[in-house]
Amino acid sequence: MTQISENRTPDAEPVEMLLNMGPQHPSTHGVFRMVLWVDGEKVVDVEPHIGYLHRGSEKLCEGEQYHQVITLFDRLDYLANFNNEQVYCRAVEKLMGLEVSERSEYIRVILCELNRIASHMLFLATMGLDAGAMTPSMICFRGRERIQALFESVSGARMMHNYFRIGGLKEDVPDDFVPQVRDLLKLIKEDTDESDRLLSFNEIFLARLKNIAAISAEDAIDFGLTGPCLRASGVDYDVRKAAPYSVYDRFDFDIPVGLDGDCWDRYYLRVQEIYQSVRIVEQALDQLPDGEVASSLGRRLIRPPAGEVYVRAENPRGEIGVYLISDGSDRPYRIKVRPPSFCNLSALKLMMKDCWIADAVVILGALDIVLGEVDR
Amino acid sequence: MFNCLKGMLVTLVSTMHGLRQPVTRQYPDSGNLLGHHPEPTPVKDRFMGFPALTWDEDVQEPFCTSCMVCIRQCPTQCMSSVMKDNPLHEEGKSSRRKIVDSFEINLNRCILCGICVEVCNFDAIVMTHEHEMSDFSRNAIRVDLPILLENGLKFQKETGWIPPTQRAKVQKGGDAAAETTAAGTET
Amino acid sequence: MPATILLTVGLADFIWIVVGLFIMFTVLSVVVLSLTLLERKLLARLQLRLGPTRTGPMGVMQPIADAFKLILKEDIIPASSEKAIFWVAPIIVVVSAFMIWVTIPGTQNAVIQNLDLGLFYIIAFSVIGILGLVLAGWGSANKYGTLGGLRAAAQLISYEIPIIMVAISVGMLAQSLDMREIVNAQGSYIFFLVQPLGLVLFFIAGLAEVGRTPFDIYFAESEIVGGPFVEYSGAHWSVFFLAEYINTFAIAALTVILFFGGWSGPGLSGDWGIIWFLPKVYLVIMVIFWIRGTFPRLRIDQLMAFAWKVMVPMSFLSVVMTAVYLFYGWPAWSLTLMSSAGLFVVGYLIYKRMTGPTKLVSQTRIRQQALQDQRRAASQAPAEAGGD
Ligand code: SF4
Ligand code: SF4
Repeated sequence: MTQISENRTPDAEPVEMLLNMGPQHPSTHGVFRMVLWVDGEKVVDVEPHIGYLHRGSEKLCEGEQYHQVITLFDRLDYLANFNNEQVYCRAVEKLMGLEVSERSEYIRVILCELNRIASHMLFLATMGLDAGAMTPSMICFRGRERIQALFESVSGARMMHNYFRIGGLKEDVPDDFVPQVRDLLKLIKEDTDESDRLLSFNEIFLARLKNIAAISAEDAIDFGLTGPCLRASGVDYDVRKAAPYSVYDRFDFDIPVGLDGDCWDRYYLRVQEIYQSVRIVEQALDQLPDGEVASSLGRRLIRPPAGEVYVRAENPRGEIGVYLISDGSDRPYRIKVRPPSFCNLSALKLMMKDCWIADAVVILGALDIVLGEVDR
Repeated sequence: MFNCLKGMLVTLVSTMHGLRQPVTRQYPDSGNLLGHHPEPTPVKDRFMGFPALTWDEDVQEPFCTSCMVCIRQCPTQCMSSVMKDNPLHEEGKSSRRKIVDSFEINLNRCILCGICVEVCNFDAIVMTHEHEMSDFSRNAIRVDLPILLENGLKFQKETGWIPPTQRAKVQKGGDAAAETTAAGTET
Repeated sequence: MPATILLTVGLADFIWIVVGLFIMFTVLSVVVLSLTLLERKLLARLQLRLGPTRTGPMGVMQPIADAFKLILKEDIIPASSEKAIFWVAPIIVVVSAFMIWVTIPGTQNAVIQNLDLGLFYIIAFSVIGILGLVLAGWGSANKYGTLGGLRAAAQLISYEIPIIMVAISVGMLAQSLDMREIVNAQGSYIFFLVQPLGLVLFFIAGLAEVGRTPFDIYFAESEIVGGPFVEYSGAHWSVFFLAEYINTFAIAALTVILFFGGWSGPGLSGDWGIIWFLPKVYLVIMVIFWIRGTFPRLRIDQLMAFAWKVMVPMSFLSVVMTAVYLFYGWPAWSLTLMSSAGLFVVGYLIYKRMTGPTKLVSQTRIRQQALQDQRRAASQAPAEAGGD
């Protein structure tokens, strides 16, 4: 027999059932656990439990030398490795007052934007799966696979690249990089188009996602949402535009914004962002300068001056912040990461007010969390 | 309604596409008597598989002098090695005074980051294209010197590996030669 | 007891029934095996994959390998489950699935026991399967299972009504509930031509009845991880699997019999009609798989609203239309017209129900564009000012 929960509040009617969703559940996107109080099919309350993937990354960073920390940042948001590497490298560079060569900045931007596309493609795939459509996931995975093949040819690894270095890159990109990326962009557009035609405006999909978990701009800001989840609510905030870093101020691109702040907006915003990222990469390829990229610091022990920096960047999931304290030794004294998924997850309770069980899955999917980053 | 039908058309079209050309690649073998399918995706040139030690063909000894740099720099501390005096150096055949006696990498712990290759000053360690080393027991891929050298030698043979420092020298030499010829044409 | 049965039924009939059941079981098992392979291959192609390739040439032995795997697997019975119910639930499901086939004819003679009230019998037995699903969900002592079982009850019972109504209107057209009569009545024109509305309703309700996408709500993998089947494994699970495919096959066969003229087709007569029958059925099944490869899943409240607000009224309408047509003895094309009009109403209703959000979307796009233009203008203005 099912077990009826203890009354949550003393005066509540004992009509609610406690439903444990996760940590082993196909659509909690990793090892995430939601305890749902359900009244029939309606979700009354939700309590998220995190920490199943806690590896103590921030503490581990304190024991590693500066260039070894890059490997740990690869494993935070494991769907946006380049973006994470970039923000860490920028933090150390800022601390040391290093100038990075033009070419390596451009290559970093190209790779980061491609990684954003790959991450968003995975999002489209899982969103389709959460709503019950299988085919878009295959189409999007095909696109992501192509991007990862490119990453492999550049950095030697498909996911944990360890390619960016403090002050530059590990080595220059292969000779045929530019034509390869141009071909890739064409295919990416095709793949996105195909999955867009198949899924985005499908009536059932719309009925499942539209007007689900709509949150207002004020709420979104209050909860500290960033990235697509914030922009879906109509707030025009993107670190790439608001506080341009690297060479982002040289590109012409739009920040798509949603209006209603519901799940469908969060979904469709990411589709649009893929096209914007394609635009950025195209421009970056056109402008790509020649020059030296390899970092002279790669092999040497780095001892940045004592001090602290905070650096932020726009990850596929939102604004990531790295707070780094150095005491002048060869290892960071403390690194604190502000992970976008973690902050976005805080709005879960608000979003899941009075939704259906089926919506709970979709809402969590549209938040697009990566547990490696939430738990760290 | 119309978008639903459009979606069905999309899947139909992609099916027609798929009938002509599925994107699946078979692994490890490709196809059978009735159907031949694309080969498993070959690894890219820069692919980072498991690390292995290289073999100096000129002197017939490993490059590695067991200097411990890579061991100290490895983020997962998965390597260890022991140094010894080089007998070939005493015979005057080799310029290496010290040489590796034993070397062990626990490939279970290795995260394939490539830092060891980057920091080695003797071109002694490479990221091979080897990635199929799964085994049933936990300590089966704690590899020691002979296996590392064997893997490294295989990689060297397959890719025609030239030690990076030597390659850099060749390049620099080429540049210098180009410069001199340029200078020559100018004068 | 056996003696009385033998006396009343007659020895020959008895033997025929036993042999017939055995043949039916064998044939249906083969059909299920072929369906699993077809589904895997077709879905794979829809998704640009290859599907099974390892077992035998092009993977044709895959279903057999699957069956072996399922039978050899450990059959786990959860400790806190109601053992008896847990055991009996799959049997109820599969028996009702098999019993339907007793009276579905493959050709004029290829039927185990033709009944005058065949259609009625089929509908009656298909409801029993629901009981099995609810029991399975309840007996497995799992909250996902319970939710799934309740979903199954709600969904299947609501979609039973349109099926019955459409079956009634077809029965009225054929003036019989005997499946053979229904097929024979389609000699001059198949009923799809006069009752397109009926076909659409029947097909949609049939999808819901066998829990196929977009109505796979009671075992939705991404929400309630298999619903009633969540605790089942090994042979028990394979029994559910068997029942699901038999039901799919039955719905496809019924669609063909009721609306596409069953085994009648040009050029073949008598028992050779099976050559027309099977391809038709498999085509319908392929459409089911195609839909599975395209659509997302509905939510339970949308599903119920759809059943009671669209399907049930429209199926009543189809009965009324058929009655009017028969009463006044109008020519056949008049029913076609009425039915098509009804179909458009259904289309419009679905459109209305489902595109409430879509209209928002088109507005959203316009508003988004306006907002973007405005922002761009705003961001360019200071730049120009700065330039000055
Ligand atoms: S591989 Fe290179 S760095 Fe490591 S011990 Fe040998 S010589 Fe030293
Ligand atoms: S690749 Fe990285 S983890 Fe592996 S042995 Fe080398 S330094 Fe250590």
